[in-house]
Amino acid sequence: MNKRAGIGFYIFLVVFVFFVMFPFIWVFLTSIKPPGEIFNNFRWFTSSPSLESYDNAINNRPLFRYMWNSFVVSTLTTLIAIGFASIAAYALTRLPIRFKGVILGIILAASMFPQIAIISPIYNFVTAAGLRNSYMGLVIPYITVSLPLAIWILATFFQKIPWELEESAKLDGASPFQTFRKIIFPLAAPGVFTTGILVFIAAWNEYLFALTINTSDEWRTVPVGISFYQSQFTIPWGDISAATVLVTIPIVILVLIFQRRIVAGLTSGSVKE
Amino acid sequence: MKFQLNEKQLGYAMVAPALILVILVTLWPVAQSFYNSLFDYRLNDPSRSERFLSSNMDLERYANDYFYLSRDLEALEGQAPDPDDAAAVAEISQEFEAYHAELLEMDGLAEQYEEVEGMIASFTAIADRELKYASVENDWAEGFKAFLDDASEQLTTISQNTESEEFSVTAGNVAGSLDSVNTAVIESNFIGFDNYQRYLTDSRMWQSMWNTLLFTITSVFAELVLGLMIALLINRAFVGRGIVRASVLIPWAIPTAVAAMMWGFLYDGQTGIVAHYFEQFGLIDDASVLLSTGAGGMFSVIFADVWKTTPYMALLLLAGLQTIPGSLYEAAEVDGAGKWQQFWKVTLPLLKSAILVALLFRTLDAFRVFDLIFVLTGGGPANATESISIYAYITLFSQSNFGAGSVLSVIVFISVAIISTLFIKFIGSDLFAGKTGR
Repeated sequence: MNKRAGIGFYIFLVVFVFFVMFPFIWVFLTSIKPPGEIFNNFRWFTSSPSLESYDNAINNRPLFRYMWNSFVVSTLTTLIAIGFASIAAYALTRLPIRFKGVILGIILAASMFPQIAIISPIYNFVTAAGLRNSYMGLVIPYITVSLPLAIWILATFFQKIPWELEESAKLDGASPFQTFRKIIFPLAAPGVFTTGILVFIAAWNEYLFALTINTSDEWRTVPVGISFYQSQFTIPWGDISAATVLVTIPIVILVLIFQRRIVAGLTSGSVKE
Repeated sequence: MKFQLNEKQLGYAMVAPALILVILVTLWPVAQSFYNSLFDYRLNDPSRSERFLSSNMDLERYANDYFYLSRDLEALEGQAPDPDDAAAVAEISQEFEAYHAELLEMDGLAEQYEEVEGMIASFTAIADRELKYASVENDWAEGFKAFLDDASEQLTTISQNTESEEFSVTAGNVAGSLDSVNTAVIESNFIGFDNYQRYLTDSRMWQSMWNTLLFTITSVFAELVLGLMIALLINRAFVGRGIVRASVLIPWAIPTAVAAMMWGFLYDGQTGIVAHYFEQFGLIDDASVLLSTGAGGMFSVIFADVWKTTPYMALLLLAGLQTIPGSLYEAAEVDGAGKWQQFWKVTLPLLKSAILVALLFRTLDAFRVFDLIFVLTGGGPANATESISIYAYITLFSQSNFGAGSVLSVIVFISVAIISTLFIKFIGSDLFAGKTGR
């Protein structure tokens, strides 16, 4: 961190950020063009901005319904995963149980499972349980993705909490459960919150299960819904651009508010400190 | 007396629910996938839509058909104008009843049959598959099926040769009923490793495996090199860190399917700006090349993946870089090491475990790639970008072939297991360091 940033460095930064953001910029500029203009030139800026594409994007397909579905499914998934994972991660990092390595190994292996390897039995199960085209039909399979991820990240965060506080709580006669509730949880809350954001994003972005299990349009989630904007014969790029902008806005807000936490969560599992 | 768990027991009790859930939703389905792969199991074919280790009778169908067939055979016998035909029908009828009697003599079948008959009489559909299907002896099923084939053929011949038109039509109908009973006898669809044999010699499987490997190796390597370069460059104090961090996180945070749609627009041969600029700069001959040729498609998919994931890689590596104490570089400088030497002798060795962990997660992610390719190219053009996951998905859900599709699922699973084992061998216990505690 002793290097100084010169003017060349800032030019590099601007170019880098521009390249990373370019698809978004272009898609946004397209979304405010009148639909007729998209197909005949490559001008960056339109002379007559219009919201027609947004109108079409919302009215041709139930975009807000997709967003609501994604929101409900991701929230339920996050709550369930964090509930089970925080208890398990606490025991794994704090309590004197055996086979910790084996258990963590199983959890890590589970987080690496290719979804395609489990999709057909899950599909059979969800169909047999009558949960196709419902929120629970997605929440249950999403446990496969979210629970191992949550335990893995939470275990790292819990490990960083100083032991001394817990020891003194024990000396004062607190039970392990009281220690968890009164000492560990308040200290761990930031980590839990970060894990929650990451699990939420993972559930929001999931595609394969959502594609196969919720096949009726009103139960589709955002990623699947967006991918169905293109029909076999026409590709309404105006609608797609507008829809992309609309579904990206919540993510941009989430990232802007929580960027520090997200980075901390992402890097916690991979870096030793 | 108060019941109190000690710390250890409490620990197990706290880990158990999560662990059981994880096992239920991952290990159990994988075992199921493997089991399914041993059957000729197709959801869209009624005689193969279940997995049967032995021969079975669809009792619902059979009981329904039996009622009419038994009656029709008797009537047919009376109708026959030619005594030879009457004798032939009588023989079929007798043999059919004999098989029916044998069926009912099997263990517990009489009661099950009666129950099914009762439900049919009251027009109730049978949802319980334990009741609907009855396992029967393989020899019997084989004999019965052969008899039904013979009888149906015999009746068809009779119906074609007779002079009475009425008799001909009825005989034809009865032959049809015999065929219908035939479909109620379901032979075992257990085929062992036949599916595996088929796919291990399937050129489309090897093509999709090659595509997957090419995609994985190229994109992960590009992401690592670019990510490392970016991480090294931005590992310093500068104004606007927040903006850079946010702009780097957004591609990572948006759904892959949304990114794929965006890139589909940018690559489009007519309206795509990226395709247009590539053409302008002479990188490609024609704007349509990106999505309409095999090489163009593969490039497009890899480029989009690199765009989406390099920033994430850079973040992981940057976090690793920041744990390297500056004093090490000072010491290296005092010893006369140049920048290049510092990179090879200080940075890389200390970054090794962060790189390996990032590589592990990225490689596995890339190997199971599905949504990016599925949305961007659909595996086309001409399967040139089809990954193994997409091939498996198409076999499973577009062709409803769960037996064959499960083979491909198992192949993906085994490949992922091999890749992770190799990586974990390299990384060793570092992966768990700082997690298992004292």
